[in-house]
Amino acid sequence: MATGSRSATRASSSESTDDGSAPVTNDILRLLLLALQLGFLGLLFIILLRFARALRADLRQAEALAASTQSGMGRLVVVESPGGEPAVGRALQIGAITTLGRDLNSTIYLEDEFASGDHAVLTFRGRAWYAEDRGSTNGTYVNGHRIQRPVALSYGDELMIGRVRFRLER
Amino acid sequence: MVLRLAGRRTELSLLAPVVLLVPLGVVVTHIAQTGLFETGPLAVAIAFAGLVLGAHFVLAWAGHLGDEMLLPAVAGLGAVGIVMLNRLPQDLAGNPAFDLGMVGTQLVWFGVGLAAMVLVAVGVRDDGFLRHYKYSWGLLGAALLVLTFLFGTEINDARLWIVIGPFSVQPSEAIKVMLVIFLAGYLAENRLVLAGASLRIGPLQLPPLPYLAPMLVVFAAVMLVVVVSRDLGTALLFFGVFLTMLFVSTGRRSYVLFGAILFVAGSAVAYLLFPHVAARIDTWLDPWADPNGAGYQTVQAIYAFARGGVFGEGLGQGLPVVNGNLPIPAVETDMIFAAIGEELGMLGAVAVLGLVAVVMTRGFRIAALAGDDFSTMLATGLVAGLVLQSLIIVGGNLKVVPLTGITLPFISYGGSSLLASFVVVGLLLSISHRSIPRPAAGDEDDR
Repeated sequence: MATGSRSATRASSSESTDDGSAPVTNDILRLLLLALQLGFLGLLFIILLRFARALRADLRQAEALAASTQSGMGRLVVVESPGGEPAVGRALQIGAITTLGRDLNSTIYLEDEFASGDHAVLTFRGRAWYAEDRGSTNGTYVNGHRIQRPVALSYGDELMIGRVRFRLER
Repeated sequence: MVLRLAGRRTELSLLAPVVLLVPLGVVVTHIAQTGLFETGPLAVAIAFAGLVLGAHFVLAWAGHLGDEMLLPAVAGLGAVGIVMLNRLPQDLAGNPAFDLGMVGTQLVWFGVGLAAMVLVAVGVRDDGFLRHYKYSWGLLGAALLVLTFLFGTEINDARLWIVIGPFSVQPSEAIKVMLVIFLAGYLAENRLVLAGASLRIGPLQLPPLPYLAPMLVVFAAVMLVVVVSRDLGTALLFFGVFLTMLFVSTGRRSYVLFGAILFVAGSAVAYLLFPHVAARIDTWLDPWADPNGAGYQTVQAIYAFARGGVFGEGLGQGLPVVNGNLPIPAVETDMIFAAIGEELGMLGAVAVLGLVAVVMTRGFRIAALAGDDFSTMLATGLVAGLVLQSLIIVGGNLKVVPLTGITLPFISYGGSSLLASFVVVGLLLSISHRSIPRPAAGDEDDR
């Protein structure tokens, strides 16, 4: 039985017919079996190819997106802003030196009567952002703690100036 | 509502060929095993397709914006797993509570896992409960570990199961996720301190002790219990995840070097102290010293890969039964990669590794794009866990590293492993959904 099925196809050339599992006797079925098996392996690689294509398309898209936005140092997302300027939900791209305050010349202008004119400054030094209070009346808060000296920020930290709350994101 | 189903097109187009894998595989198996071309076994394929596509449509309906390649990639791994489990004798494993045989039970866990994944992906809108309670999660993980050690049931010389009614649960799968949550929280909080080294031991630079100590203490405790409970694969996995997260958060190669030295020293001590560790390593170095005893599993796996060759013996045509037994012990769990190597050949094995690579690429991409440090560290740890676990057990099957008893995620039989792995995918999806900047009201000038 086993030797009979050996000659036809590679698919049934294993010794599995000796061990009790039923042999495939019909030639057409045996051909179908081989075709379906190769189809299974082929489908696996078609899937991988489609993944490769999707990954490449995704990479191109990410490149275009990175080129259109800039710096990549980070952004401030407005979490709370009673004055309406900046609007809640906005993501502000920030440069290496970013001043925040009620002064119109600040990099980020805050319409909030609890903020000082020249309230705080964010600087990117080496590999991290630092927040520094510029002698404001009501202070600068990082994660709810008033800062006394420049402190390093992690992405995800919350910065509060006056009544405006920001979250530093990447 | 119907319109919203049109979302996630990339995911659907990648899932379509993945879903076709199972019907093809089960038909090949059925012809090879019975010599008949019948439609009966397609029930397995229909169930699988229904579950996976169901998960996709729920995500699309919920307007989920997260990664669209992760689900197809893990579904691909799952499809290969279902095909292999369908091919093996159904009485190898299974749960008496379901009475569905091995592949049926696995499909039930697939459904539970996918439901959990969707729930986590859509439900976790805010990770505060993970971020703020990092010590609680760490303690919970440690407590679970001790509980398993005290009340666990010993199976195959390792105490890692807790039996509750008809279910036996493997807590190490959940502990893995909890440990990653703890490490992510701790590293995100202290990243800058850890990155700026101040303690020097010879050529090595280490972070200041007050920051390093708590992490090392928790970690040493976990490792100790894992090693004592003889779950070596999990110990190696935890250590690898820890080092990966430490490196990603600080970018310091010296920490990895330090960790590698620790690992080699620890392994040497374990080799001398624990006979079961020594036995594992001796078996790895020379399985032919005792081919019918300690080395049996490894030797049989090597034979299986050799029989498989490039194209494989074909589904249902390999794994010759000897004296009524399948050639490889634990072929449905730890050694399933050897079965894939035999029946689908090198090509099938490479395709499986390719899918693992896709999971890794997407996972690290999600980590890189995440908005905050905690999410980045969490994604890094979770994906490192999945990928390292795959590599450790694949390496074990191939005799590249010592063989240890862990599952191949999404492929091996086992509910705990499937559920934990799908929760990990759910967390990754949730992180990638949250990192997409959403347009807010009054936002026109902002790109």
